Amino acid sequence: MSAVLSGLNIKNIFEYYTGNSYSKYDIVDFQLTTGISAYPSYTGFGQSGLTTWFNNDLLNNFSLDANFNVSGWINLVSGSGSLKQTSNDENSRPYIDFNEYYIDIYNKQSLSGTGFASNSRTIFLTVNAGNISYINQTQKLIKFGLSSDYGFIKLSGENTNGNAVIFIDDQQFNAPSYIYDTKNIYTIIQDSSANVLKLRQNGIYVGSINSFSNYWKNEQLILGDNNDNKSLKYYELIHFTGILKDEEIDWYEKYLFEKYFDNKSLYYAKQNVPQGINYSPISFTGADYWTRNINDLFKISYGSNASFSSKLSNLMMGDGYQSNIAKNINTLNSNFSINYDGLTDTQAKCLIAYFENTPEANKKSLYEGFKGVELDLFSPYKPSAELYFKKIDHTTPYNNINNVKIEAESLYDSSLDYKGMLVQLDEIKIRTYTDTINQLKYNDVFYYNSDSFLDRGYYFYTGENFITEGSNIAFPVNISPENSPTGENSWFTKSFYFKGEIDYSLNNELRLRVNDSKNSTIEYDKDGINYNLLEFNINFNRRTNSEAMAILKFLDDKAGYKPFQYTLPQPYNKTINVYCPEWNHVYNFYNNNDISVKFKEIKAPLKFTSSFNTDIYFSI
Amino acid sequence: MANFINYRNINFSIDDKNYYATRVSLSAKASVEAVVLNDGSLLNYAPQGAVIGNLSTEFYLTGSLPSFLRITGTDESSITGNFAGVAITGLYPKSINFSVEPFKPIVINAEFDWYGNVNVHYFKENSQQEIESIQIPDYVANGYKSYMTSADIDTFGYITNFNYSSSCDRPAFFNVNEIVPFRVGKLNKKIDFSLNSNYLGSLISIAGRTATTTITLKDIYGTTLDTFDVSGVLTSQNYEISQGQYLLASANISQTVTENKVLI
Repeated sequence: MSAVLSGLNIKNIFEYYTGNSYSKYDIVDFQLTTGISAYPSYTGFGQSGLTTWFNNDLLNNFSLDANFNVSGWINLVSGSGSLKQTSNDENSRPYIDFNEYYIDIYNKQSLSGTGFASNSRTIFLTVNAGNISYINQTQKLIKFGLSSDYGFIKLSGENTNGNAVIFIDDQQFNAPSYIYDTKNIYTIIQDSSANVLKLRQNGIYVGSINSFSNYWKNEQLILGDNNDNKSLKYYELIHFTGILKDEEIDWYEKYLFEKYFDNKSLYYAKQNVPQGINYSPISFTGADYWTRNINDLFKISYGSNASFSSKLSNLMMGDGYQSNIAKNINTLNSNFSINYDGLTDTQAKCLIAYFENTPEANKKSLYEGFKGVELDLFSPYKPSAELYFKKIDHTTPYNNINNVKIEAESLYDSSLDYKGMLVQLDEIKIRTYTDTINQLKYNDVFYYNSDSFLDRGYYFYTGENFITEGSNIAFPVNISPENSPTGENSWFTKSFYFKGEIDYSLNNELRLRVNDSKNSTIEYDKDGINYNLLEFNINFNRRTNSEAMAILKFLDDKAGYKPFQYTLPQPYNKTINVYCPEWNHVYNFYNNNDISVKFKEIKAPLKFTSSFNTDIYFSI
Repeated sequence: MANFINYRNINFSIDDKNYYATRVSLSAKASVEAVVLNDGSLLNYAPQGAVIGNLSTEFYLTGSLPSFLRITGTDESSITGNFAGVAITGLYPKSINFSVEPFKPIVINAEFDWYGNVNVHYFKENSQQEIESIQIPDYVANGYKSYMTSADIDTFGYITNFNYSSSCDRPAFFNVNEIVPFRVGKLNKKIDFSLNSNYLGSLISIAGRTATTTITLKDIYGTTLDTFDVSGVLTSQNYEISQGQYLLASANISQTVTENKVLI
């Protein structure tokens, strides 16, 4: 049993075995093969044919020029040939990223060397090839000899099932797994006595050629030397003289798999899976059957909720005046309680295992923690939010009925992103304002772009519905400048126009100074001039999805610290300045949302002198 | 196609099977709550849940009980009914009951929840031409008689009649943004069995009294129509005599139906 499985609180999860078929929601620990893995230099099995071994484990494995470009990749097997780049042209030398476990060989860059002659051999190559730029582009992974027609493995075609192809010399074979933008283990089994050369990709047989060219026996080995390919990231190359046994091939492939692949996260069957190696999780076919994406397996139930609180440094300045400074751009603590109700025992097992396995996800980078779960949140929150699962609450009201509640946190939502933090401008539910608008309904939200940051921002439509009578079919509405968000007779507002429940409570506590002299009665004095600052909760219960989205977008836009005006209900009826540091949303049912907000009154004019909002792009 | 016993001109079938129905009742209920704002105005009426329909029917048992009416089984799937020419696709059986006594046809009372849209505005009675073209079944539902052939309850005397009912709750589970459930489970499955007899044996104890029996229903030719196993606990006994009548005793047996979990 692997450490991953032994760490779970759930029994009966096993390593993936190609001889088994699986049912939907089955869980497997995919380790390429079910046997052992073997370190290449280990000789305890009697295997002694290791003649070449290149890897990126140590900086000493490379010879570098003064600018840290690679001039040589040193063979770890002493006395064997190494790979070099002897050109004086710096651009011919590959680049090495010291923080990664690969050497990146671009375009015409190459490494080559001699001393690799062998009639029969077994080669294991772990490489990640960048995607092609145009159709029919090819990329050579490995080449023996100087022929342009023989002695090489190359990739071509689109990265889809049936289109991704691998060439052995001039014969092409359909790749069983993705060939670009993912790590692959290619195994070449060159058997001169049988006069056959076989190729495997990630343990799956790809194809073979008979009567292969003598170039395959050549002593010269070349990596790279491609035209306009994006990149080839070489992780490791192992070369055994002679033909290994099938189980030995499995062992060394598994060594590479354990070293370079994400073998800690489990796979989950999203439909019934037939037996056979072509259905393994990392194959093209298997991708239709196995997933690590929770959205392929489960959908969120009603009753899920979201709660937000702002992370502020609060500075009290006397007389009730205060300043709220956001601690960073991720101003909100955003927590979600996600319900998955009505699960069968099998589904519950799958979900609980998923929850328990989430910390085994790959790290975001060398310097960060593990990746969160990409979850399609409930309306109106953004899809594919990255959440960290923290707590699970599992109840079983009856046999084979399970309700699971997962508490999760979103960490990386930036208040600088003009699209919003968790309720985002998606051009579907929330759109950029134009003079002609379809589907114009009360509570619709629009982003109004303007050169003036005072005018720019989110506006809420509070006019009449423009829909065809008796149906939901909308028609285009031309909005005149007068009725535009900034027009004199605007149909839109930037204000908080939502009304709370008829049953509300509002408490007010005076801010008083106490003078408590000994042996005397205490005396009260007002604490400055603003001693009547309110702090209160307002509930907006059973609201439609559209109104809930508008309220939540308004609050999201304020990011927990920006002030706005609120008109108190009867009998106060006064408009005061508030900010909203906390709010909570429960999605009860379709068109039934409960939202509770906490407002804190502040005594400050709502004058903005500067504002940041920008589009944030993250790239890998 | 089944006709009503009083030959009204509306057709009713379940899962493409015809039953000689004496009654069909179809209803739908929406649960809403008013949203009143702090200025005193009414915003709207908010839905509290899905529209839950109820369908109840009575029909004569003219063969074995349809499998979908095995209420306490594990099958949770929905069935399709057809009422007055309109399909009801999301029917979930939740209870049945019937009474058995000598020389009396068995009428099954069945109740269903249903979800989803039903085009009730398309309900229609059959035209005269359709009525005339309907083939009359070559059997008559109430021509059958059924009786119990075994009641293996210790110490009980002659059982004159009994009533069997099985039921469960059908909780519905919804994904967000959907108003039709993705699953309608089964909760609290139970069987209630009451009988009349001339003798009931000793008094029940504080824990009731274990009672196990198998009810076998047969037609007039002796062919078994169905069997029902009851393995519960006798929870009440009642003795009653009235002027000109024999002493009659009645008892109730309750069974909570469970399934052992299959290791996964």
